[in-house]
Amino acid sequence: MPHTNPSEKQAQRLKYAFIVPALFLLIALNIFPLLYNIVLSFSNAELSGGDWQFIGGDHFTTVFSEPKFVTAIQTTSLFVFAAVSIELVLGFTLALTLNGVFRGKSILLTLLLLPMMLSPAVMGLYWNLILNGHYGILNQSLTFLHIGQPQWLTDPDLKLLSILIVDVWMWTPFMMLIALAGLQAIPSYLYEAAEIDRASRWTIFRRITLPLTTPLLFLAVLFRTTDALKQFDLVMAMTGPNDRATQTLSALLYQVMLRDYNIGLGSAYALVILVTVIALASMFIRYIDAIQRRQGRTAP
Amino acid sequence: MSILRWTFLTGYFLLALLPLSWLVLTSLKTRGDAISTTPKVLPSITMPQEDDTIRFPMTRAGYRRLAEPHVGTTQSFFSYLLNSIITGLVSTVAAVALGTACAYGFSRFRVAGARDWLFFILSTRFLPPLAVVVPVLMMYREFDLQNTHLGLILLYTSFNLSLAVWLMKGFIDEIPRAYEEAALVDGYSHLHVFWAIIVPRARTGMAVTGVFCLISAWNEYAFALTLNNAGAVTVPVYFAGLQGNIQGMPWPQIAAGVLLYVTPIVVFTFLVRKHLLRGVTFGTIKQ
Repeated sequence: MPHTNPSEKQAQRLKYAFIVPALFLLIALNIFPLLYNIVLSFSNAELSGGDWQFIGGDHFTTVFSEPKFVTAIQTTSLFVFAAVSIELVLGFTLALTLNGVFRGKSILLTLLLLPMMLSPAVMGLYWNLILNGHYGILNQSLTFLHIGQPQWLTDPDLKLLSILIVDVWMWTPFMMLIALAGLQAIPSYLYEAAEIDRASRWTIFRRITLPLTTPLLFLAVLFRTTDALKQFDLVMAMTGPNDRATQTLSALLYQVMLRDYNIGLGSAYALVILVTVIALASMFIRYIDAIQRRQGRTAP
Repeated sequence: MSILRWTFLTGYFLLALLPLSWLVLTSLKTRGDAISTTPKVLPSITMPQEDDTIRFPMTRAGYRRLAEPHVGTTQSFFSYLLNSIITGLVSTVAAVALGTACAYGFSRFRVAGARDWLFFILSTRFLPPLAVVVPVLMMYREFDLQNTHLGLILLYTSFNLSLAVWLMKGFIDEIPRAYEEAALVDGYSHLHVFWAIIVPRARTGMAVTGVFCLISAWNEYAFALTLNNAGAVTVPVYFAGLQGNIQGMPWPQIAAGVLLYVTPIVVFTFLVRKHLLRGVTFGTIKQ
């Protein structure tokens, strides 16, 4: 900054005018509710309002002895792991096939991105039509191919798989987009040098492509993981929030707080979930920090 | 290799687009044809024969009926669309504006603890909406913000800010400082510099950021569902609420509505497609 500027003092005041509005909104609508949530988790508050009292850590005893919570953790972990790994493999493979210049690429890319532009809540609803056991087009096609008639939406063993399929359909394009950004950032002289050395395709992939895209792929994985952990919209639309086979943590929160109206208990659940998410988020953030430092981008 | 490559790409492309093509077909059907027990896959302009099991007559009824309130609801699709447009557009503009200003502040001024503040801003992105929805609900009751557009706009703006600040900081960091410094030496204020030099040069970045903010505000469900039962119900909540409707799901209307609803997003995305890749990498790579 030019320190010779005569209006330096005015500039110092002005910088807060640029920064403070955004910070204020974040604190008022993200951080304050979070703190309020901690208070509520030690109370017997109900959604209907009225007076509430502190009841100590009772809810936390309930939380950790509740089998539903354990099941929700298992369901969510399984879902996150399966969704993110499938999306990563598919998305990266897609990006590899799309890398390079060819005609119609930008149209193709936009079409491939379509699923992630759609509303997950409404798409979950619409997939009910496709997956329906009687009039769904998927099972009608399976009849035609003489394969069985899986009951995608009512068989407890298949419900979570159905939600997984829709999630993969919606979010693989996102992985693809990040992977593509990583691939395009690889300087072409590396490939040219490898070609001169007559390196095999596999060697080029293993020694150049993979290591140079890994940082961004990891970024994409962390991004999708934190998003998949919040999975709610598809569950709501496809099986409802209280289905034993598909109750993710967010669905459990919704059920306890907004259907059973037990705010105190729900807030205790929320707090436990938040601690987990914050741990993951700090991993994500440290990672971005590390990449930026490596690139020599210094803090302002 | 090349054959394998094109097989995979074509295979994925077709599989991914099948559900979307079915959406288009469904929007042109009658409700009976949409849930027919024999697959109706071929649209025809004339009335097909009685024994024809795969053809269906095309109709615009799905689109036309969007203008009428569905059984059990009081308003038509378009009034919910208006709610979505108001909340989506205003919150996107607000998030981009506040985010750009904040990013400029962090990019060009010495701020104590800047790194910590920036990471604090990023960390809010990971907050699961359902973990804060009840405190927000209680706050909104106090301030009479339930069932209002303003309530949703404030929330969407705040939840998009983290993305906006980070993306815009990446873009603004790359604008050369020479012009600004010259202007400052000439006695122009920072406010004037921001408006006349930074904003015009950050336009691409603002457009990309806007698309990402719009997609998430446009399709948001958890907050819209819990903070609203009248007044500012958005399209996703309206459609999801039709589940369990006494007349059954009006599939052709839903399909038609979804197609109309996604159109603006597709147009915006297509317009900024060349710069999209920048947007998803959180400024960790330079292009």
